[in-house]
Amino acid sequence: MNSKQKIQADWWSKSLIGGVLGFSLALALSSLLTAITPGGMDGQSKVQFNMWMVAPIWMFIFSFSYLFRSGLSAMSWLTGLNLLSYSLLLMVLR
Amino acid sequence: MKIRSDVMRIYQSMHIWTGIVTSLVLFIGFYAGSLTLFKPQLDSWLTPPGQVLPQIPTAQLDQLVGQVLDQHESAKAGFSLYLQDAATSHSPIQWFATDLGRELHLDARLWQGTLDENGQQQTLQVLPSVVAELVDYLHRTAGIPGTLGHEHIGIYVLGVAAVLYFLALVSGVIVLLPSLVKTWFALRRQKGERRFWLDAHNIAGITALPFHLVISLTVIVFAFHDQIYAGLAQILDDDTQISRQAPPRLTKTYELQQLLPVGRLLETAHDLAPEFKVTEMAYMGLQGPKPMVRLALFNPDRLMRGPISDYAFIHPYSGQLLNSTLSPGEAGLWGRLVASFFALHFGSYGGDWVRWAYFVLGFGGAFLFYSGNLLWLESRRKKRTKEMGMAEVPTQSRSCRVLANLTVGVCLGSMAGVAVTMVTGKLLYARVDNINHVSMAVYYSVFLGAIAWGFLLGPARAAIHLLHMCALSTLAIPMLTLLAILLPDSGLWPSTAPGTLGVDLVALVCASCFGYFAKIARKRGLEGPRDSLWSLHSGPKAPCLTSSNRVGSRQ
Repeated sequence: MNSKQKIQADWWSKSLIGGVLGFSLALALSSLLTAITPGGMDGQSKVQFNMWMVAPIWMFIFSFSYLFRSGLSAMSWLTGLNLLSYSLLLMVLR
Repeated sequence: MKIRSDVMRIYQSMHIWTGIVTSLVLFIGFYAGSLTLFKPQLDSWLTPPGQVLPQIPTAQLDQLVGQVLDQHESAKAGFSLYLQDAATSHSPIQWFATDLGRELHLDARLWQGTLDENGQQQTLQVLPSVVAELVDYLHRTAGIPGTLGHEHIGIYVLGVAAVLYFLALVSGVIVLLPSLVKTWFALRRQKGERRFWLDAHNIAGITALPFHLVISLTVIVFAFHDQIYAGLAQILDDDTQISRQAPPRLTKTYELQQLLPVGRLLETAHDLAPEFKVTEMAYMGLQGPKPMVRLALFNPDRLMRGPISDYAFIHPYSGQLLNSTLSPGEAGLWGRLVASFFALHFGSYGGDWVRWAYFVLGFGGAFLFYSGNLLWLESRRKKRTKEMGMAEVPTQSRSCRVLANLTVGVCLGSMAGVAVTMVTGKLLYARVDNINHVSMAVYYSVFLGAIAWGFLLGPARAAIHLLHMCALSTLAIPMLTLLAILLPDSGLWPSTAPGTLGVDLVALVCASCFGYFAKIARKRGLEGPRDSLWSLHSGPKAPCLTSSNRVGSRQ
């Protein structure tokens, strides 16, 4: 394996990106999940359900952000995924 | 299973650092959490007989409420009714002499009331013990004092710890995966002490993995739900929807005489959840704009939303069902799903068996964090020994010594602290004015004293002393019951109910475990490797070793 393919640790940048962009991505994905499941956004207890689902989704993204090759690649991937899921959410909520 | 070496290295470092940073607060959270599963029993153990007045039939509750409201101004804001067939022992009616928030209240006086044979109210003011609440506080905050906004700082500290703990779980599993099948459940004693501890650490972690994932995620939500709701409100651009579904605000105020009869409220609850039993009715804000009765609905065979029960909220004057954690039908599906997240944290499903399983899992978690720290110290020792060569006995680095001192002091100190607090709480109850102030002082002095002891004597000696202290103070819990039976005039009281007797029995088992651990810690100190932090042959006060009373290992 040459050094280009090797994963760089990039602790600070990956932690920051996984924490912040991972959280915003989790907010969008959880809201999407809430919107497309029976009852939709306004269903009984769906607000609580939405809030609860943020934590597992966030932590899943956070813990696997360290698999990106570098902090920069984590940044670009998560930014892209954020844009994608927020546009989807906008479409679904329309 | 093969995992690339660079991935392994990253998750290895992550596991080590997240583990070390969080282990101490999580240890306290888990250990105290195990105890909170039996909080009502702890509370009864600390409550002298005669402080609970006899129960009355449900049909007589209206009469009791009427008489109490007539004569006690302090009951008019709110009170709690306990129904006859509830599992734990309470007086039929209770209310606080002063209004309370969610803080620890050391001076709060509690009124108890019942009816005598002639249907006349009998009341009694008592000082409820703070110890069970203190254990709950340790569970939620690790004992860290102070508040930030309307929340304890300790809750946020544990919330951050829970985030790191989740990372530690994921990274721990990834690091273990390649060797998981090969060493599945192997507990190797022969391959050296480190191997043994590592195997034990892995078994504790992997077998309880679902429990640990659930706990870490629920703690994140418990700490940061406000922030998550705020985030959702931002992106959904809809404050009305996200603002918590509060019961409809009513501006009309009512006269206390208009309170609906208890039977009427019980009917509403029965219609909602026929297979549940109402155990407690908490009347709140009776003279304010949002009066409410919270009925605790209990059914041990079902999954329940709260630590003990489900809830229904009913308007005490109109009888309208305001809210409930048990909405029926398909609409209630999501509510039940949310309830299951809570229940999975509290262990409030499947009755006493699950409660006991959670008790054991909690201790298992505490062991996981303790053993993790020991493993890091041991791997550092090996590394250090290689660096320094074998010519002399190497000393351990400062960071290792500090972590070892803290691990010993914090973990053993918090356990000894709770035991000593329970013992003094019973022993001094009749001899001091307000036992709760004594209890708080005792817990924090033992806890801080234990940490200081660790730094003064070094981890090897302090661990043995503190384990002895844990053993003796825990043993004193059942001994007090024995003493109370032998000396009825001592002001002590024996355990009589099955629940409080259980407290004594568990304490007895724990005391023997602590005693055994003290013995093997001593053996390790005398016979283990001399360059170890746990060796009694090195450290600040080596010559004093032989003055100790008993050598356990070489008789």
